[in-house]
Amino acid sequence: MTRALVVFCHPTGDSLAGAVLDRVRGALDDAGAQQRLHDLYADGFRPELTAAEHAAHLTPGADPSVRRHVDDLEWCDTLVLVYPTWWSGQPAMLKGWIDRVWVNGVAWELPPGTRRVRPKLTNVRRIVAVTTHGSSKLVNAAQGEGGKRTISRSMRTMCHRRARTHWIALYGVDTCSPRRRRSFLARVERRIRALAD
Amino acid sequence: MTDNALVIVAHPRPDGFAHALAGRAAGGLRAAGFDVAVLDLYGVGFRAAMSAEEREAYHGDEPILDPLVAEHAALLRSARVLAFVYPTWWGGLPAILKGWLERVMVPGVAFRFDERGKVRPALTHVDTIVGVSTYGSSRAYVRAINDNGRRTLTRALRMSCGARTGTRWLGLYGMDTATATQRADFAATVERAMLRLR
Repeated sequence: MTRALVVFCHPTGDSLAGAVLDRVRGALDDAGAQQRLHDLYADGFRPELTAAEHAAHLTPGADPSVRRHVDDLEWCDTLVLVYPTWWSGQPAMLKGWIDRVWVNGVAWELPPGTRRVRPKLTNVRRIVAVTTHGSSKLVNAAQGEGGKRTISRSMRTMCHRRARTHWIALYGVDTCSPRRRRSFLARVERRIRALAD
Repeated sequence: MTDNALVIVAHPRPDGFAHALAGRAAGGLRAAGFDVAVLDLYGVGFRAAMSAEEREAYHGDEPILDPLVAEHAALLRSARVLAFVYPTWWGGLPAILKGWLERVMVPGVAFRFDERGKVRPALTHVDTIVGVSTYGSSRAYVRAINDNGRRTLTRALRMSCGARTGTRWLGLYGMDTATATQRADFAATVERAMLRLR
């Protein structure tokens, strides 16, 4: 049975973001997946990595304040990130979640006597990004799709050897019609259900 | 009119190497004749996450609600050089610096929406975007995997600037195993590069 950790990042949970989250959760339920949710804004997550955390970055283990995040990350086989793309990447809130939770001893380790980082989140077999972009696909391509690479390269490297990433994105939100929004929501539902089945 | 340069530094520890580099960058820019302001994001307690209120005000007439953000936006308006100094984490900007872009580079400051809802640049006064970053990984690894921080600053942010805005990137790779000499050499390189921005 699929074990999905859903990480939701939106300051207001406005109509579109909230609708996307509802579809994601509904589709996971339909597929019979177990799910856990972290709503970073609602939980008051603090995204700034602290001086103390930085000083401890060579010591394995995350800060005790993010223990629940670590537990759920180590529990899941499917990580679903739901967020708006801002400045071509994850919002600071979500980037901070990565900075503070995906640390030494959680996402990776450096075995003594080696210089190569070894992935530690081998339980994660897929990462799904569900995101909306204000600007067009063309503009995002010109900007290099950095946020997509953060997931498909930087994060995936620390997961299962054959982990796959799935990109479910709506471009041009600032100018898009209600019809395109509806069809995006339907696509989100369809793809999540197919993944979790 | 004096030429202004803005150095934005993001490192949680005051003794972090990024602060030393920011100092050298600022020194180089001053020697080149710039009026330099250094923004130490951790030092001033900058809040990384855009708030719900800020999100709601984003598309309105006054997207800036926080006096600290207003202060930074005012400094930005006349800057000819933007120098970002930070450690690369997960191939990208530390959250606090990413949040600085999100909260300060708002409509009316970094860009504006035209009547068709398209984004138009507003940072046309910026001549050069400078990135100074330290990387735990080797240069080859960074190149193969991801340098989203660099892309965000030299592509996404660059699009909000003028057609002739240049970019300059200075990276110290393999930071965790760099010797004291390598670090000192890198700091000197940063200062020299800033001196040449005249």
